[in-house]
Amino acid sequence: MSFRNSITIVASPRPRVGKTLVARLLTDFHRSENRAVIGFDLNAGERTLTQFLPGQTVAASVRDVSGQMALFDRLVTGDDTTKVIDLGHESYESFFTLAHQIDFVEEARQRSIAIAVLFTVTPDQTSVSAYRSLRERMGRAMLVPLHNEMLGSAQHRDKYPASGSSAVTVRLPVLAPGLRKFIDTPPFSFADSNMANATGIPIDAHIELQRWLRRIYLEFRELDLRLLLADLRSSIRFGS
Amino acid sequence: MARPAVILVGADKGGVGKTTVARTLIDYFGAHQTPTRAFDTESPRGTLKRFHPDLTEVVDVTSVSDQMKIFDTLGSADAKVTVIDVRAGLLSSTLQALTEIGFLESAKKGQITFAVFHILGPSIASLEEIAETARVVGDANYFLVKNFVNNTTFFEWDPATYNSYFKKIKGAEEITIPKLNEMAYEQVEVASVPFVSFVGNKGPKGEAANYSFVLRGYVRHWLGNVWGEFDKVKLVDLVSPKVESNVRQVAG
Repeated sequence: MSFRNSITIVASPRPRVGKTLVARLLTDFHRSENRAVIGFDLNAGERTLTQFLPGQTVAASVRDVSGQMALFDRLVTGDDTTKVIDLGHESYESFFTLAHQIDFVEEARQRSIAIAVLFTVTPDQTSVSAYRSLRERMGRAMLVPLHNEMLGSAQHRDKYPASGSSAVTVRLPVLAPGLRKFIDTPPFSFADSNMANATGIPIDAHIELQRWLRRIYLEFRELDLRLLLADLRSSIRFGS
Repeated sequence: MARPAVILVGADKGGVGKTTVARTLIDYFGAHQTPTRAFDTESPRGTLKRFHPDLTEVVDVTSVSDQMKIFDTLGSADAKVTVIDVRAGLLSSTLQALTEIGFLESAKKGQITFAVFHILGPSIASLEEIAETARVVGDANYFLVKNFVNNTTFFEWDPATYNSYFKKIKGAEEITIPKLNEMAYEQVEVASVPFVSFVGNKGPKGEAANYSFVLRGYVRHWLGNVWGEFDKVKLVDLVSPKVESNVRQVAG
């Protein structure tokens, strides 16, 4: 029920911090929950969301007005489809500048669409400043720090306070060494039955991957609940 | 009773965006609950009337009967503000006519609030209009409007040249109309609705429309900036000193 009309933006101003992996996992999480879901891929280069999940993803761009309309006009369409945006670092600033300028969060709120930004936290000053700026520009969206434990165990909690009425953080657990190679060749979906497309995967690695997947899906369910809670609070506030 | 206000929007060159500025003014006063009427001098077919049909009347400003229609009704009209969109090439002659009928004298005596929005084009010739217009305008509130909405670059000017003209005019104030994304501008043209209706996703009769959210966002942002310029010169105070302003609620 929640997430049905939600938009989750997986973002960081830094490259190579695991955004596409998170976007893939999130898209497949929604599929595993039997929700209609579409991914929007704002990345260039190789191993993009479009390549991993070609059936669920469309390439998007904010470079010109036509691309902006194709993306944002679709995002605010109430089509009962959950939307996941994999926001590449090259498009990070232009995306949020435009979103702020056209008041994307308010438009979504008026259409009862919840927005969450999953921000991959890193210790560098660029990211800390970007996060702070995002709190100002997207303050009414749910801003969720995402700790990718594959980048290290430091949490940086003081630099990345969660925001929104239902503050939450999400952890991407460490994937055991040696397992990455099984999931890193596109196309690949975690939602496919038994990950059948991951050919040549040993049984013990398969079990380990499923265990890892369960942990991250648990995190997403928590996020799901927080979004639902935020929606409820918002409805009560506007209804009263 | 507050004195009536007349705002003349004009230029002696065509294609500099006079009607666009007139439209933003009508929207601005509407947002400030200031009753406004408009006259479109592109007789017989006016562009301004296409966007604001209920507020606008098309007139021939060179005819005495239409001059009477505008100026003899200033005191009796419900509208507090009268915006006149002067057709290209008629600014000087309109000002001359206003001098001859004693209108400028009334403004000088404080019986009428009079303001001129002189829309500048990209050429030196456009700058040369300033001195000529200022000479006639005299004590009126004279606003020099640099209009970038149609991608004008003002390439024939440089700051020194511009300042040499601008500084000649005592009391003139500068207004800058920023550029609006071309596609957004075109879509408002196609929709033939006021900018505020486009932002509010409303059709010509107030019905729900289906304009692009992105383009509406561009227009809202741009209109907010334009109104910010009007706020900067205290336009509401000029025409209606007691009206409270709450412009951001509409323009975002």
